[in-house]
Amino acid sequence: MSPRASNSLFLHRPGTLQASLRRIRALAQKELYHILRDFRTLAIVILMPIVQLVMFGYALNLEIQRVDLGVLDYARTPLSRQLISWFEGSRLFRVFSMDGSAEEADRLFRLRRLQAVLVIPPRFGEEVERRGFSTVQLLVDASDPNAGTLIRDYSRRVVAGLASEKTGSQPLLDFRPTILFNPDLKSAYFFVPGIIALVLVMISALLTSITVAREREMGTLEALLATPVRPHEIVVGKVLPYAALALVDAVFVLAVGVLLYRVPLRGDPLLLLLLTAIYLATGLNLGLILSTVARTQQVAMIMAMVTTLLPTLLLSGLIFPIASMPGWLQALSYLVPARYYLLIVRGILLKGSAWAHLVQPSLVLLGMSLLLLAVSARRFRTTLEV
Amino acid sequence: MRAVGFLVRKEFQQIRRDRPVLGIIFVVPLLQLLIFANVLTTETKHVKLAVVDLDRSRLSRALATAFSNTDRFRVVGFTTDVAAIPSEMRAWRVQAALVIPPGFQSKLVRGESPALQCLVDGVDGNTAAVALGYAEGILSQFLTEYARREAANAELPEQPIRLEERMLYNPDLSSRQYMIPGLVVALLTIIPMLLTALSFTREREMGTLEQLLVTPLRKHELLAGKLIPYLILSYAELAVVTTAAIVVFRIHVEGSLVLLAGLGLLYLFTTLGLGLFVSTVTESQQQAMFVAYFLIVFMLLMSGFFIPIPNMPLLLKKLTYLDPMRYFMAIVRDVFQKGSSLPSLLPDVLPMTAFGLAIFSLSVLKFRKQLG
Amino acid sequence: MTRASADRWEDGAAIQTVELTRRFGSFVAVERVSLRVRRGEVFGLLGPNGAGKTTLIRMLCGLLSPSAGSAFVAGLDVARAGEAVRRRIGYMSQRFSLYPDLTVEENLTFYGGVYGIRGKPLRTRLEEVLAELALGPFRESLARDLPLGYKQRLALGCAMLHEPPILFLDEPTSGVDPRARRSFWDLIHRKAEAGTTLVVTTHYMEEAEYCHRIAIMDSGKVIALGSPTRLKEEHGCESIQQVFLKLLRGDGGSTWQTPRSPSGESGVLGS
Repeated sequence: MSPRASNSLFLHRPGTLQASLRRIRALAQKELYHILRDFRTLAIVILMPIVQLVMFGYALNLEIQRVDLGVLDYARTPLSRQLISWFEGSRLFRVFSMDGSAEEADRLFRLRRLQAVLVIPPRFGEEVERRGFSTVQLLVDASDPNAGTLIRDYSRRVVAGLASEKTGSQPLLDFRPTILFNPDLKSAYFFVPGIIALVLVMISALLTSITVAREREMGTLEALLATPVRPHEIVVGKVLPYAALALVDAVFVLAVGVLLYRVPLRGDPLLLLLLTAIYLATGLNLGLILSTVARTQQVAMIMAMVTTLLPTLLLSGLIFPIASMPGWLQALSYLVPARYYLLIVRGILLKGSAWAHLVQPSLVLLGMSLLLLAVSARRFRTTLEV
Repeated sequence: MRAVGFLVRKEFQQIRRDRPVLGIIFVVPLLQLLIFANVLTTETKHVKLAVVDLDRSRLSRALATAFSNTDRFRVVGFTTDVAAIPSEMRAWRVQAALVIPPGFQSKLVRGESPALQCLVDGVDGNTAAVALGYAEGILSQFLTEYARREAANAELPEQPIRLEERMLYNPDLSSRQYMIPGLVVALLTIIPMLLTALSFTREREMGTLEQLLVTPLRKHELLAGKLIPYLILSYAELAVVTTAAIVVFRIHVEGSLVLLAGLGLLYLFTTLGLGLFVSTVTESQQQAMFVAYFLIVFMLLMSGFFIPIPNMPLLLKKLTYLDPMRYFMAIVRDVFQKGSSLPSLLPDVLPMTAFGLAIFSLSVLKFRKQLG
Repeated sequence: MTRASADRWEDGAAIQTVELTRRFGSFVAVERVSLRVRRGEVFGLLGPNGAGKTTLIRMLCGLLSPSAGSAFVAGLDVARAGEAVRRRIGYMSQRFSLYPDLTVEENLTFYGGVYGIRGKPLRTRLEEVLAELALGPFRESLARDLPLGYKQRLALGCAMLHEPPILFLDEPTSGVDPRARRSFWDLIHRKAEAGTTLVVTTHYMEEAEYCHRIAIMDSGKVIALGSPTRLKEEHGCESIQQVFLKLLRGDGGSTWQTPRSPSGESGVLGS
């Protein structure tokens, strides 16, 4: 019990739990006033996640819709026309017939009019009779390697399809791929939960990191410390209101994901909410630690952005699969809370994962959150009381 | 006009003492380059594969070995329970499963085309598609070898049409070649814009802007004195980042660096102008950060940096024309990868220049040498 | 420059305002203020917070345009010759607007450069100001590390480096300890004796005694104007503090509604 806390005017002895709860309530209430009076920030807090989700969810589409394919048919044989019609029949390609030379192709690639050109050499088809096979050339603008790979693979499939029809042979194997959970391979199913994870950690870290820095800037932190309030009570009193706010945000964002983007909710919504709360706590506690370091709101904001945005975007598996990264980056990714939350949110939404499936990531997240809280309470004591 | 010199000097004195800003300008971009270069690989590796071998024959084991011998797949377990697979996927322990049916070997030998099932977790659509592609490749190689070794007498179907592919501009299909020039553009947008916006709003918050406004400085002198330092810094950053990209990350530049430098300068007018614009519509650094952040997110999304513009819905596709970053992104990538020269870049250079002029003059007009 | 304004300058007026008014939306911050400040005068603007002192000063410096009325500073119409006016004035804002991350010398050099002083004259002037304000020992210190009293001096130094004939000091002594305030007022008087006109706002009533003349403002209006001695006599008070309280309570009756024009005072026009 700290000596400055003893004051006979208090009805309850300051050391009791009851008194402590009262102080926390007073702090939380004050924080709530800050939140409600500051409409601009409130609007940002509510709108920013939703606007971001809508923007990203709408735009983040890596499914290639249409490829403009130019065809230089020097052969003009029945077989070449058949090949072209097979390309036309594929839903990926929009076929344009070209005149002229291969140099023309280069010009059209530079102007980004075409993404691929199919060159059918003279006497295409005749060679099949003579040599047993004939060659066509495919020029691909591979500056975007993703698109390039896709165009190549699709073209291979078209050519192989025509070839096996020609030979009429039966394949050695009947390969039957079955895609589970997302049979249409929709990008949105993958990215919307990812954006939810990003937005939630950003906003929660931002909220708490700013609030302490603001008190410091206004000088009210000093005033607070002159009262019988203990540092850990400040921590709790500050986190609680923002936790509530962040949870409201989370519900909004999840609802937008499910209702607007039609991302299925196959698992237990309550489990999702509970585990989301743990994730939010991680973000809020991270923000608290930042606020003990940052002297000003501006620094706090920048730090919150830097520690959440890029690691989450790059190292959590949000876009890039962790398993494909070099070892040192994989090791770093274990420190990113979103890595674990992504397993949870994608699992529950898309796969209907239950608690038993998610024990491990949930416990790691909980451990992280508690560790961050302990560190921030400790840092509060040392940085503020001196 | 020599008062401008004093402003420039003052700004540099401030920047020199502001370690975080120097870090933001030079260290953070290099770190981003390092991480991006390593994160961005189109190659999908170590897909977690479960093998459900219901045949338990010599050939089924050989097939499993063919999968485990590549670094594309990592075989995480053998089972005979197909029904357990979805549950394993729910717990993220398995991404794909190869189901080898009973009688696989005998049917294959008899040429009865046995069915081979492959279950894939489709949540990450990209990985799923790539993994299936790999699986097909491994299978066809397995079959070729099988045909050669085991069934030397069996007739392999001849492929009558062969596709000869030429991947232009990026024959190695390297993501770095595509994304790192894009990152240069992103940095050249974000940093000048943020620094300019914050430097003006900081002076406003500290009250020193008021102090400057009562001096005989003309509006254009004040603006020039504040913008020139950031123009110089951003240009230095362009040089540092591009050099690092070429020297450290071995990014190949097909086109002219002089052309790139010239167009970069042109583009900086747009981003500095945007920063100035943000500072004229905001009152505090905090607001400026928020507004700048939103603009940056919008510009990044619409620029084609990581979402290809052709993939977008029509409405968004039209919106991208309003994003000045879109034009510079296309220019830089074309210069780096295709070695394009000015004439073929004109369709992007012209709108970019128009945007730069419009944004810059609008914000200069909006910036008033008065309070309230 | 108009002929009339030039006449007023010859006339000995450093500053003259005519019905100067500034509105922010429906709020009237400064209402029809007409006053005249003589050359070499220390002119105090007194009033509670929100009385309109800062708005008035900002209009005189050309930082805000008036909604109505006009202002002449150093004989020039602020609305028309803002640029020329700025060369002839110095302004010290109530926030001591310094660059915290520049040293004392760098701050002074910067403002000197902005006012077009450079080279040898700048170095000479820099030494003069450092000596005059006793800032010499701090020349290499960052502004943010200075004690408040020295920040205040540095702010004054930045405002007077170009030797303006007119200085506007907005709450120059707020938050500074009494001894530093005292010595700051000594500085102000030395400047005035050397011919500089100073307009000083303050809410410390006892500082009013240091001014040659004061204007008391409330709700955007000038409610009393004159030398401290005259104001005390007129209201039968012993201190400006009492005069002030009396006026604000409305004891003076009509003083609340209309600006008071003490007999024989030439400062108030158009009342």
